[in-house]
Parts: sequence; C-alpha cells; structure tokens
Amino acid sequence: MPANTLLTSYQEHPQVWDEMFRAEGVRPEYQHFAAAIENLAGLEMTRKDELAKKLFMSQGITFTVYNSGEGIEKIFPFDIIPRIISNSEWLRIEAGIKQRLKALNIFLKDIYHQQFIIKDGVVPAALVYSCPQFVREMMNVSVPHDVYTHVAGVDLIRDHDGEFYVLEDNLRTPSGVSYMLENRSITYRIFPDLLPKSNVLPVKDYPALLYRNLLALAGPQTSDPTVVLLSPGIYNSAYFEHSTLARLMGIQLVEGRDLIVHNHFVYMKTTKGLEKVDVIYRRVDDEFLDPLAFRPDSALGVPGLYWAYRKGNVAIVNAMGNGVADDKAVYCYVPDMIRYYLNEEPILKNVPTYQLADPEHRELVFGQMDKMVIKRTNESGGYGMLIGSAATEQEMDAFRQAILGDPRSFIAQPIISLSSTPCYIDGKLQPRRIDLRPFALCGPSGIDIVPGGLTRVALKEGSLIVNSSQGGGSKDTWVLGG
Amino acid sequence: MLSRVADTIYWLARYMERTQAMLQVIRIQYIASQDEPHYWGWQPLLNTYGDLSDKEIAKRAPHTPQVLYHLVFDRENAASAYRNIVQGRENARAVQDHISKEVWQSLNDYYHLIRHDAVAHQTLGEDPVSGLDALIQQGVLYVGTVQNTMPRDEGYIYLKLGKFLERALQTADLLRLNQHLFATENESVAGAPELRYLLYGLLGYELYIKTYQGHLEARSVLELVLYNADFPHSLIYSLGQLLRYCERLKDKSRPESYEHLRFLIGKARTTVAYSTLQDQKGEALEKFLAQVRSELLDITTALSSSFFGNG
Repeated sequence: MPANTLLTSYQEHPQVWDEMFRAEGVRPEYQHFAAAIENLAGLEMTRKDELAKKLFMSQGITFTVYNSGEGIEKIFPFDIIPRIISNSEWLRIEAGIKQRLKALNIFLKDIYHQQFIIKDGVVPAALVYSCPQFVREMMNVSVPHDVYTHVAGVDLIRDHDGEFYVLEDNLRTPSGVSYMLENRSITYRIFPDLLPKSNVLPVKDYPALLYRNLLALAGPQTSDPTVVLLSPGIYNSAYFEHSTLARLMGIQLVEGRDLIVHNHFVYMKTTKGLEKVDVIYRRVDDEFLDPLAFRPDSALGVPGLYWAYRKGNVAIVNAMGNGVADDKAVYCYVPDMIRYYLNEEPILKNVPTYQLADPEHRELVFGQMDKMVIKRTNESGGYGMLIGSAATEQEMDAFRQAILGDPRSFIAQPIISLSSTPCYIDGKLQPRRIDLRPFALCGPSGIDIVPGGLTRVALKEGSLIVNSSQGGGSKDTWVLGG
Repeated sequence: MLSRVADTIYWLARYMERTQAMLQVIRIQYIASQDEPHYWGWQPLLNTYGDLSDKEIAKRAPHTPQVLYHLVFDRENAASAYRNIVQGRENARAVQDHISKEVWQSLNDYYHLIRHDAVAHQTLGEDPVSGLDALIQQGVLYVGTVQNTMPRDEGYIYLKLGKFLERALQTADLLRLNQHLFATENESVAGAPELRYLLYGLLGYELYIKTYQGHLEARSVLELVLYNADFPHSLIYSLGQLLRYCERLKDKSRPESYEHLRFLIGKARTTVAYSTLQDQKGEALEKFLAQVRSELLDITTALSSSFFGNG
C-alpha cells in the first residue's frame, strides 16, 4: 500500500507558529479535517483544487484590475485547505474585538463631542488634530443611536508564541466579507459532508444581521424605510462585493449619480420619479461623499449629502470621520482607551508600535531598521510600507528622509512573524503566512460577530504581505462549535 | 426601478439587437460579394457601420478582409460589432443584480468569443460565413436565454423596449439604404438580386416566397417589410411590440410620463399603419422613411428624459 505523503511531507517553518501542526503532531482542532483528507489520493486533491477554480470563474467571483485601459477580471486566489479555529480561542477573539469596538465607538463619540479623553490627558490633542482623517465637519453631529463603527473588519495576526495581536481596526469601509461568504459556499461543494461533521459554525447570517442593523437606523417615524448600498461603480475593485451584498440583502445598489438631495432629504431617481432614501450603507470613502463639503472634484458622491446627514434626515453607515480612530498612530492608544472608557484590561494585545514623531523612538527605530516594519499612518492595502528585513539600503534611506520630513505620518512596529498554515500548492502542502479578519457588526442592539472571517494568505513563499492587491489569496475560515 | 438601471438595461438590449442586425447584413453582403457578378460594393455598409472618411472608404472597399475586419473586429471603430458586444457586456456587468445569472453568462461568453483570436482568424483568413455564423449563433443564444430565464418584471420591459426600438430603426435604415430599388416605376428584374439580398438580410426571404409565391417585385417586398404583421422584422411588428410593452409600464411609471410615451409610440405606429403603398413612390418614400425615423427618435428621447432621468 503506498503511504499517503500529503500530511507527512509537510515542512513547517522553524520559529513560526503553525496553525495545523505542532511538535507532537496535528493540533486538536484540525484532527477531524486531517483524518478526512489523509486518505485522499493526491490526484483527488488536485481535482478538488480545479473544481474550486472552476466554480469561482463560472460564478464570476472576480475582482477587476485596471492597468491597461481595458479591465481584466481575475479570480481572487483561493486555497482549498480551510483555516480552523477552536471554540475557546474564538470566544476570546470575540470578547476581545467586542471590547475594542465598544471603546473605539465611545472614543469617536467623545472626540467629536466633549473630548474628555483629551482633557484628561490620555490622548494628546496634537495627535488627533494632526490626523488628516479627523473630520472637523463631524464636530457636535449626533449620529443615530451613537453608533459610529457599524461595520468593522479587525485584522488579527498571530506571533510565534501563538498569541493573537490586533494589527488594524479598519473602521471605515472594510471589504472582504463577500469572500468570507463565497469561500464557505465553495468549501461545502468541494468537501461534501465535512462541514456538518466537523461542527463548523455557520457564517451565512451576516447579510441578515447587517440588514437588521441598517433598518434599525431609520427614524421611528418611517414605517417602510428604504435602505441602499452606495458603490463607486463597476470600475471599483470591490464592485463584486457591493453587488453581492446588495443582492443578498435585497436592497438597491446605487451610485452617486442615482441620488440627489432636495431640501436636505436624500432621494433616488427611479423610473417612477424620486423616492426617499433613509439609510445609506456606503462603500465610498469620506472625502468623496459630498463634493460640497469635502473634495470638490469628486464625481462619486452626492452634493448636499453631508447636510442631510447632519440634520438627521439620512443615516450613513459607517459614520463619517471614523478614520481618526483608524489612524495607525492613534492605534497605539486603543489599550489606554479601553482602560479609560471601560475600566477593563484589554483582552487582545496591540502590536508594539513606535510613533516616529517622538525623537527617542525615532532614534531607536533608525538604529535597528532591519528588524522593523515602517508604515504610513493613513495608508492601507499593503502600500506605503517598508519591511526592514527585505529592504535595500537605498529604500531604507528613502524612508528615513521621508520620516524626517513628516514624522507624524509614520509609525514603526517590530516585524511579527505571522503564523503559517498548510496550503495546497503544486500538488503538495506548503506553509504560507496568514492573518485573520473577522467582521463585526455594531447596531443599536449590540455587537455581533459571525463566527468566522476572512483568512488572507501570502501566497508567495516567505512573503509576509497578505493583501489581495499584492498577490495575496484567501481561505475559508472554520470556527468550531463548543 | 432606478433610472440608471433602466437606462443601462435598455441600452444593453439596443447594443445586442444592433449587433445581431449588422452581423446578419454583413454576412449576406459577403455572400452577395462572392456570388453576384455585378456586386454593388461595400461602400454603403462602410458608411453605415464605420467611422471612416470617404477617402478611406474608397481605399478599403475593394478589400473584403479589410472591410470585414473594420466592421466586425476593429477595436478602434466605435460602431464595430466588437465594440457593441463589449459595451453590451459592460452594461450587463453594471446591472448584474437585475438580470438573470444565465443572461450575464451568455453575454460573458459572447465577449470571450469575439475576443478570442480563433473566430477572427476564421472570419478573416478562412471562411467568413462560418466565423460570422459562430458570432450570430452566440447572439441567438443570448436572445433565447433572455426569453427563458428573465423574470417578467420592469427590467424585462426595458429590455424589450430597447430591442424593438433598435430593430425598427435598423429596418428603417436598411430600407433607406436600399431606396433606389423602390424608386423606379418599371418593375424590371434588374433590381431582383438586390431585393433578394435585402430580404435575406432581414431574415424575410422565406416568408416572402410563401406569401407572394416566388415572384420578386419591389412593391411586394416593401409591403412585407412595412406592413406584414407576421414578419418579426417589419416596421409594423416592431411598433406593435413597442406599444404592447409600453402599456405594461402603465402602473410602473408616473402618469404623465406614461401618457407621453404611449402617445409617441401610438403616433409612430399610426404613421406606418395608415400609410399606403400608393403614397410611397419615388421621393415620397424617402420622406416617409425620414418621418418614421424621426418619430422613433422622439420615442428614444422621451424614454431618456422621463424614465432614465437624463432630461
């Protein structure tokens, strides 16, 4: 009998936490899955891999890359081996995210109203006011039910000791949730019966929970509120997600040009005339939302939307101005916020972060740049960053100059060696680095997190960058029931 | 329904109907160019479906592969079949949640087919008829998929309005292109081959033979193309369908918009229905066709301003 080498030939990285294997063998949460694939011939795994690709292509689960004038649609690379999280670990993650979001939500309300946290000296005023995402127009604006962070996609990574760290809170317009849903719907096609037998908790409630929260934001005087999803349009790379979410919630997918503001109320143009809009789930960034209040050259927004919002005539999700809590320099203070507002100790740790506006920190970081990740405070998507261990002397110099020119816009973090997990690549299991983005929904009735999330994979060997725009892929994420 | 969505769906239908009509005409023209000793040349079609200057047209017209390339595959020619299909698919992508998944997939396949070198190679280098047939077939597949899978909701109505408006315009334009065939009083056989290819281009030759028992004459051809209610490419048929789908909009639009649209479609239909062949001799035909065309354009303007919010 030929021995099955699929599991035994797996070479894990030393000094890296592997999600599936430990020194004594397969971790308990993976044991059921490992037993199921152990007896599969190599050919069968390859067939499953091909089936997954075919399903993605034929269902049009693609994102668009516009680089040569004509858009090219690519499938978001998907790895068939799921990432599995045990129930006890999940409960801790869930509690940690809820705690963070509770504090961040209070922070946003505070910072745009009385600013107790500044007056009490917990967060420096200069830091808040120098943040480009601090939206002065939001001062003293009351948002429905005091909820700012309706949808958050918190990025978690795991260091070599197995500890989870929060990397970013993503409180503006986080994307990726449609891939969480689609990945699951592909997994049950390629691994029949395995999901129910492994007691995997479902993620399918996400659209219903989101819709419930959106409806709850409409004023009580509206009996049949109209909820819409505002998208920048088909040329946006996340357009697939926008249309998927609109379809799953049964709401209209609108673009800026479909909406007009009249007398501080928002309407959409229909074949039957104007129809009032009560709640907007927007996937357009703050600065593009209203050319009269923000960037005047924006064609994606709706003139007058800001004033309609300010008057309380329309609810906007997420609230405007959340970027201030998303700033990577403000991020350093989230543990302090939790202590200050909630009088609790943070459950999830922050990655240690050096603010480069501080001369001492700067000196320390410049001294050991090869062990640091340097990031711009207001960029995301894996852009505007430098990974010290992989950078050339020249690149480091360029960053040093940029930092000295504008130290407030940079932070540095020690390189965290992301945990790895087996991926099925070229016919065998190979370790690749991953992160985890669970999606949290805050509504008037509290915070819900569907058990799961998007596990992003750095598909290039040895790479630490998981962003889809930089060659990343994704995996289905299983949270096991208790 | 959102105005933008209605507009996008309506244009999706127009692009696809236009593609279908032009491919059929090009196919027949090509056959004529092979089979007809006194072939009349590609100039009229290059004028209709191209964006070339008169000088360029004179230069290219004698070279059939160049002509086919320009009309069907040329990415620079805004009126080519290629660009129509790309536009149609782009529109479908923007309203994916309002059309059935199958319709989207058939358009996606059409797009991949015309982008693929194989069909261009076949059309330009091997047998143009087979190449054009492959494209036409994919178009027919789209039509059938719409018929079979689209819910009969508002979106479907705009698909049909776009389709029949475009078809009426295409038929009127094709008649205008061929009006010299109907100009002369004496019914000589000289025009007969051209008449036959006109009927082929409208997919009406068989019906004509059945209706008029094989005798090809200009008056009967005109009668069929203008008035035959059973002929799906006749003006009266398209206008009848327009009226039918317009009436289904009654409870889905503002009363004043609906009344206006209904009035304009009724007017165009009446213009055709209450004309007679007697009136259509010589220059009168040109005037009549120009009037029909302008009334059809009034309908497109009314749709655009009162339903699609472009006013």
